[in-house]
Amino acid sequence: MSEEFDFDVAIVGAGPAGISAALTLAKAGIETVVLERGQYSGAKNVSGAALYGPILNELVPNYWEDENSFERYLTTKKITLLSESKSVTIDADLRNFNQVPYNGVTVIRPKFDRWLADKAEEAGAMILPDTMVEDLVWNDKQIVGVKSGEEVLKAKLVIIAEGANTMLVEKAKLAKKPKPRHFALGMKETYKLPKKKIEERFHLDDNEGMNNEILGYSKGIPGGGFYYTNQETVSFGLILNMDVLTKKKLKAPEVFEEFKEHSYVKKLLKDAEMIEYSAHIIPEGGFKHMPKLYGNGVLVVGDAAGMVLNAGLYIEGINFALESGKVAGEAAIEILQTNDYTKKQTKLYKKKLKESFAYKDLKTFKRASHFLENKMMFTYVPDLLTGLFEKLLRNNGYPRKRIVTSAIGYVFKKGKLFGLIKLLIGAVRSL
Amino acid sequence: MSKSNKPKTLEEKLDLTKITTDQNYAHIEINPEICKAKCTTYDCVYGCPADCYKFTEEEEAEGPVVFDYVACLECATCRIICPHGSVDWKYPKGGFGVEFKHS
Repeated sequence: MSEEFDFDVAIVGAGPAGISAALTLAKAGIETVVLERGQYSGAKNVSGAALYGPILNELVPNYWEDENSFERYLTTKKITLLSESKSVTIDADLRNFNQVPYNGVTVIRPKFDRWLADKAEEAGAMILPDTMVEDLVWNDKQIVGVKSGEEVLKAKLVIIAEGANTMLVEKAKLAKKPKPRHFALGMKETYKLPKKKIEERFHLDDNEGMNNEILGYSKGIPGGGFYYTNQETVSFGLILNMDVLTKKKLKAPEVFEEFKEHSYVKKLLKDAEMIEYSAHIIPEGGFKHMPKLYGNGVLVVGDAAGMVLNAGLYIEGINFALESGKVAGEAAIEILQTNDYTKKQTKLYKKKLKESFAYKDLKTFKRASHFLENKMMFTYVPDLLTGLFEKLLRNNGYPRKRIVTSAIGYVFKKGKLFGLIKLLIGAVRSL
Repeated sequence: MSKSNKPKTLEEKLDLTKITTDQNYAHIEINPEICKAKCTTYDCVYGCPADCYKFTEEEEAEGPVVFDYVACLECATCRIICPHGSVDWKYPKGGFGVEFKHS
């Protein structure tokens, strides 16, 4: 097979996964092009959003010295359970996370993605915005490039980093069209809130950040709310399991609005002015529903590879995107040296990925997504815990019982004991 | 800064997001024949975060649901959610569609 190639590697999508691959390749002197359908990197992207400092530091050493890279470093994590008019919050204040390279940092995607894309460009990658890749170019059973309108761009390897909507992965015959039960819908609002107010409200020092996961009060639909502090904005949203949402015949934007009516959420958003509304699908099939990660002339990274984890305490997307992109870049460098771009060589990517923390985490928590579909987590458990605290703390003039006696009595009275035991067993097995 | 306590309507929320509409190209189209013949659940109406899918009872409507792509946030929910293959889903052409600035 003799082909004329325009580039060594063509990457579809300039999000964290695509740019991470491009940066890795460009640093090694590989001719790399990234095709981005948005007006700039991050223009089409929606996420929480936070990422791990150590991973970013590997890609861009001393990233924190550039103030455009991140918003705040995370020192406070809250997990809140909501029921009608009540809430219980676990508040982990971890100020020792204030050391570089930082444990986690919040980012604004249009800003962060563009900043990261600039790094890839500085390293020598070419980034083409406003370029929609509609299809792949085939030579028999080998993918040899991409198509955008009438334009054909030939490359020895194509890296698909198209995100959660896997249209090219399906065209590459690496996955079938996915099912709604393996997806959630995320809706997000960005609010302007003065820096001083953010810091006062959440007891943060300069540049420290807080993030809050919120379970319950979502009409019994598996999912949950999220809240991240940026410098002068906050990112707030609600994630809903698609299948349950439609079976309940509830409209997504209305469920979101009702969620915002809870007094706990109202306090989070007090005095804040909404400046943007966005939404996107989130792959939640987990380890068992990832597509095939490689084919003849092709590698798949990030959300497109289904590399998203929801394990309650750990909600990962950008980190896995950065890591899988980096691993794909490293594998591609070796594959190119063999002059063989078929599956025989591209499988190296999967071999390397299996050694990465991202793949291992997905495997460790492979039962988590199924566990978190258990509807009891989103109604019964928040009701039980908020109700229990109310019972224990209410002063009504009667002599108190021992705390343990009260608690056990309350749990028995609430019923669904078998369901609760099953849930606990599920938690032990999957988390 | 406005501190009005009244929640924003969905239209007001969508107005905040910058969308460059391609007047000559509807990136998503539905097939009302399929909707009429096969659909009983109308998942698109419930799933769409931008209310692009609406029930209609207009006499001249070709199917039970009407769709308008103008406010589309390109989230892809309808592509995944429609069990009948009635949604022909493509992205807007390069440079068109949503442009998030703060997300």
